[in-house]
Amino acid sequence: MLGYIAIGIPCGILSASIGLNALQVFLMCALFYSGAGQFMIPNMWLSASPIASIIASVSFVNTRQMLYSAAFAPWCEGVSKRLAFWFSATVTDESFGVNTKMFEQGDWTVARATLVNLFSQSSWTASCVVGVLVGNAIDIPLAIAAFAMTSIFICLLVTQKFTSANVVAAVCAMVGVFVCKLVGLSGPAIFLGAIIGVVCAIVFSRIREKVS
Amino acid sequence: MEPITWTGFWIIFATCALTMLACRVLPLFLLKGRELPPRVSEALGFIPSAAFAALVANDLLNPGMFAAGLWPAAAPLVAACAVVVVARLTKSLLWCGIAGVAAYALLTMI
Repeated sequence: MLGYIAIGIPCGILSASIGLNALQVFLMCALFYSGAGQFMIPNMWLSASPIASIIASVSFVNTRQMLYSAAFAPWCEGVSKRLAFWFSATVTDESFGVNTKMFEQGDWTVARATLVNLFSQSSWTASCVVGVLVGNAIDIPLAIAAFAMTSIFICLLVTQKFTSANVVAAVCAMVGVFVCKLVGLSGPAIFLGAIIGVVCAIVFSRIREKVS
Repeated sequence: MEPITWTGFWIIFATCALTMLACRVLPLFLLKGRELPPRVSEALGFIPSAAFAALVANDLLNPGMFAAGLWPAAAPLVAACAVVVVARLTKSLLWCGIAGVAAYALLTMI
């Protein structure tokens, strides 16, 4: 809960740094609602990525929501379609953790879980919009704003599970981005690099299966 | 940097919101409780590490980054190492953001 405010305000400030206004940020929080995605858009815009590349990269990162959606499916059996829709449409990384725990403990309903989701989303939306207003009031140098986003991505990277396949994914993605830039593909570098990382990790875990 | 236009915003926002909604809602309705194929789950699990690493590399690495001398390119790398330490210790996005900005501002002033 406090986490949403602590990160929503900087997210709003950084969104303002690329010229997004309060209404645009409100729409993103209400209908897109993705912490990582809402940091990626200003970050990639600042690094002059083409729009197609921004969309591809952000959507690629979004696909992890499919894991959450599939994991909740058994709990949503027998629930009305409309409620199941609202519930699944408002799941995020943080509320996924909370709701999974509550469902496993029992005595938890989809309706209550949806309320948790909507409560999280409201605090995220409110703090992002406040962030935009703060960002408009103070003038933050772009280099500083950009490095704040880099720092947040470093944190998201470092707090992933530290398995050998994940390390392979990360290292290959970094090398992939560098090679893309080297051969002049700086536009789609992030998207291609991430795909290279995932493919290398899959190959790595296949080889390991065969060897063991 | 050009500020983002309304047109640019609409294209990015509408497409990303749609793919996001599809990823969130479709598996729940289509799978009806069956599990995702293990290969698919596994691949999806690798995406965050690969994607965040790609974003970090895009910000920090550039061919020819040391052309203007060692320090201008090394300062962000040193600040990034400081953020890694803070991330390991606190696991907090906020502290990482604050530490990163402080380290970067200090190092680029040297």
